[in-house]
Amino acid sequence: MNRAASLAFVVLLVSLPLWMDNLYFLHVLIVAGIFIVAAMSLNLLLGFTGQLSLGHVAFFGIGAYASSLCSLGFEIHVWGDTTVSLAPKPVWLSMLIAIVVAGLCGYMIGKISFKVRGAYFVIVSVSFAEVTRLVALNWIELTQGPMALNNIPVLKLWAPGIGSIDIIGKVPNYYLVLAVAIFTYVIIRRLVYSQAGRAMIALRENEPLATSVGIDVTRFLVLATVVSAALAGLAGAVYAHYVRIVDPDVFLFIYTVTMVIMVVTGGKGTLAGPIVGGLIFGILPEVLRGFQVIPEVQWVVYGVLMILIVYFLPEGIVPAVRAAWRRRLDRPGAPPTRPAVAAEAKP
Amino acid sequence: MDQLLQHALNAMILGGTYALLGIGLTLIFGIMRVVNFTHGELYAFGAYMMYMWVMLIGANFVLSIVLAVALGVVLGAAIEIVLLRRLRGADIDTTMLVMIGAWIAIQNTEQLVWSGVAKSINSPFPSAPLVVGAISVSWTRLFVFAVAVLLIAATYALIQWTRLGKAMRATFQDREAAALMGVRIDTVHTATFALGSGLAAAAGALLGPVFVVYPTIGDLASLKAFAIVILGGLGSIPGATIGGFILAFMEELGAGYISSGYRDAMGFLLIILILLVKPTGLFARKERIG
Amino acid sequence: MHTKTVKTASPSSCGRRVGSPPRASTTAAGLIAAGVLATALSTGSVAAQETIKIGVSQPLTGAFAASGNYVAQGARIAEDEINAAGGVLGKKIQLVIEDNKSNPTEAVATVEKLIVRDKVPVIMGAWSSTLTLAVMPKMQEYKVPLVVETSSSGKITTAGNPYVFRISPTSEMEAMSFRPLVAKLGIKKADFLNTNNDFGIGSATEFAKMLKAEGVQVGVLETMDPKANDFSAQLTRIKASGGDTLFVTTAVEQNTLILKQAKELQLKARIVTTGGSNSPDQLVTQAGDAANGSYHTVFFPPWFPEVVKNPDAAKRYMAEWKKRGHEPGGLTEGFRGYDGIFTAVEAIKVAGKAEPAAIKDALWKVKVPGVYGDIAFIKQGPAGSESGQNQPTVYLVKIDGGKVVKPEF
Repeated sequence: MNRAASLAFVVLLVSLPLWMDNLYFLHVLIVAGIFIVAAMSLNLLLGFTGQLSLGHVAFFGIGAYASSLCSLGFEIHVWGDTTVSLAPKPVWLSMLIAIVVAGLCGYMIGKISFKVRGAYFVIVSVSFAEVTRLVALNWIELTQGPMALNNIPVLKLWAPGIGSIDIIGKVPNYYLVLAVAIFTYVIIRRLVYSQAGRAMIALRENEPLATSVGIDVTRFLVLATVVSAALAGLAGAVYAHYVRIVDPDVFLFIYTVTMVIMVVTGGKGTLAGPIVGGLIFGILPEVLRGFQVIPEVQWVVYGVLMILIVYFLPEGIVPAVRAAWRRRLDRPGAPPTRPAVAAEAKP
Repeated sequence: MDQLLQHALNAMILGGTYALLGIGLTLIFGIMRVVNFTHGELYAFGAYMMYMWVMLIGANFVLSIVLAVALGVVLGAAIEIVLLRRLRGADIDTTMLVMIGAWIAIQNTEQLVWSGVAKSINSPFPSAPLVVGAISVSWTRLFVFAVAVLLIAATYALIQWTRLGKAMRATFQDREAAALMGVRIDTVHTATFALGSGLAAAAGALLGPVFVVYPTIGDLASLKAFAIVILGGLGSIPGATIGGFILAFMEELGAGYISSGYRDAMGFLLIILILLVKPTGLFARKERIG
Repeated sequence: MHTKTVKTASPSSCGRRVGSPPRASTTAAGLIAAGVLATALSTGSVAAQETIKIGVSQPLTGAFAASGNYVAQGARIAEDEINAAGGVLGKKIQLVIEDNKSNPTEAVATVEKLIVRDKVPVIMGAWSSTLTLAVMPKMQEYKVPLVVETSSSGKITTAGNPYVFRISPTSEMEAMSFRPLVAKLGIKKADFLNTNNDFGIGSATEFAKMLKAEGVQVGVLETMDPKANDFSAQLTRIKASGGDTLFVTTAVEQNTLILKQAKELQLKARIVTTGGSNSPDQLVTQAGDAANGSYHTVFFPPWFPEVVKNPDAAKRYMAEWKKRGHEPGGLTEGFRGYDGIFTAVEAIKVAGKAEPAAIKDALWKVKVPGVYGDIAFIKQGPAGSESGQNQPTVYLVKIDGGKVVKPEF
């Protein structure tokens, strides 16, 4: 039954462009989908290992810049007359490179920042994102600085029987984002249900205890960071080849906050949480616009909503709905429930 | 040589306001264990209140600073009572999320009220600078520096010699023991947050007339305050004071001799460097577990 | 139509799966959200079929907010004036103004919205050169013409984008019209301070080229981030360089701060601001006597409107600006929006229909008596895909004794 519901949801999403002719709606869903992928990757750190990483947008931005730069090619002066140059690469390869680069950055940052915890970790992660923004802003030879990387090429895919197709326009990009989102969901699900995933959850719940039973805390935290960063980099790369422009503001803290709001609202530490939160916050701006709400008011609403959720729905929507559902089913006469999956339940 | 002296003077003056910002943030963290994301918004609030009193109402410049700081104190106390009091004992991540929500709400309310167009505040000081040899400094900046130093000294005095200060120090060292000894923790928390917010508002009110005021000025102020307190060690007031000056010198000299573009990056690079070499910060005595 | 499909889908999936674990309700939440969105979107598109929409993308918040708001205010004046005179093709015009937040990616998003959601046949924007360069590929992708009202970078009209029609002068035109003044002002060594974007870099490059050709020594070229507000480090270096003239290229917010901080640091050099987004009146009010002795290039001098090509248009615009109580400092910026909308509407009139392809062809034929002068487009850029470029006049003014005056030589 559980599977059937998920399948129905996927079928709805897959069939959407067939009966939805409003291109702007697809655009809204594409952007929401990219942020959902980023939010899912953040959830791995925030929800499953319990580390409040507030520099996540750095990996998103690094992915976007790395993929754009590889596909556009670049030439930079290193020292004196020495130059480093890269000829433009195909977009699929650029995206792979972006994933690797973002993952490597995740590894390095994980190694450095997991020396500290709590407030220090948060501030260090925020600082890291700010440094990447300032580098993107000032290394004009490489990144064009505030002038932005423009005219980024689109992804070309080759399929047997169809030949080469450009991923340009709304419908192809919609399917690309959908595929990436499903891929991300599967990867995170597998990781969470693996032995490594159980170790991560154990150290979220009680780090000293986890350490005492022999879990190598830093190793698992770094592993989670690498996977999370690589997936965020993938989201960034997809974003760059969709909007076809990247500027240093992609590193702004507000985007990290958007991802955090999505995860926290949906329910951190649940697989479905970022999807629910992402759909709500990806679509809410357009709904509010329909009611003639100006952007500032919309953001005030976001801020207040975030506070209210922390107060009244601290676990997020998905666990709350689940709990309500379970209570209903536990009444006499209701059919017996299956026990909740270990990784999905938060104490 | 003249250029170096000029840079050093610029840094000294900037450092005063940085220290103000840092002390406010570190105080709140040290006593309340709250990473205050609204700190920069209090800075922006102070600057906008200054704009309101000086430019719209036409009040006296010094009186306007006093009023802006007083309003900052009130807003800080309100944030503590309305948002944070009920979260006492909640984990640090929860309070952080609430503070991020408050930050977004306040910043966009500011944008709504004052529009996105930058505002400029007139200063009553003569625009001709004070010139000593080849070095010059504006009277406004000198005034800003003097007031900042005065406020830092007053904060030290308050913490060192008043009853409230004693209660704050007691809470900082051991909250439970302090509560058992009859310290009213609620009052200490409200007073701490109000004081920290007042200092941020003071920094905003002082720098508003030097620069221009727009809704997102608080973001950079927050980030710099974070850098300063990490530099000095979270919760350390002397650390934040010295950290403020170190950051100002790094920025000014970095901008003057390396690259003006990376001016704002200096502080963050320093943080990463410190974490690599001495993760306990320069002045912190406590373990680094939030 | 879509609304219905979605709405019937959500209750049924909820209703049937009573026994299933809560994943189903998660799905339902998503469906309901989609339904609400579809409703919101469809109600949005019903409104106003009888008007002709014109898209406007301007920086209403962020680093260039002051200028962007002035341009939008000027555009609103043109909208009302045109509608009061009966509109165009028997329909009223309706401006859809989007805030691009002074950010290139946001600028692309605004254009996407204006074209895909609001279906505008022509857009005016996007203020700064970087913002305009960012949206240009989208204009080509959707084949919608863009009237550029402010941007100055040479790249805009030489990129081979046939959908671009610029009514503002290029940096090169500005530098060339400044050329005769180099000797008159007695410039021997010049330093530069500009924003590190296309606007600032483009202007500094063209002015440096022109000055070198005139035998002027070029000292330091300092840059700043468009959001920066402390220039003491750059100005200290410029002071050490010791040129007699400092060319500054940025928007009015930073111009104000630079004048103030230059005075604080006792910079002796004469300051010339270029780019025409300097709002001298605003500099007088905000920088006070620090503005005295500085020079500014502007493309419309509201202090002596009698000198412009079409004084009638200028006076109409100025009267309405004053009537609405807009900032007098914005007059030198707002006319760009005023002229831009008149140009777009004239093209719609010539085209005889509000369709992008027809408007694009018609833009080559327009002749608009605007504040910029007689607006008409010459071809620039690679043959076969030329962009349109207008040739306006450039004026130099000086601030003296707290007043804007014609400089005397």
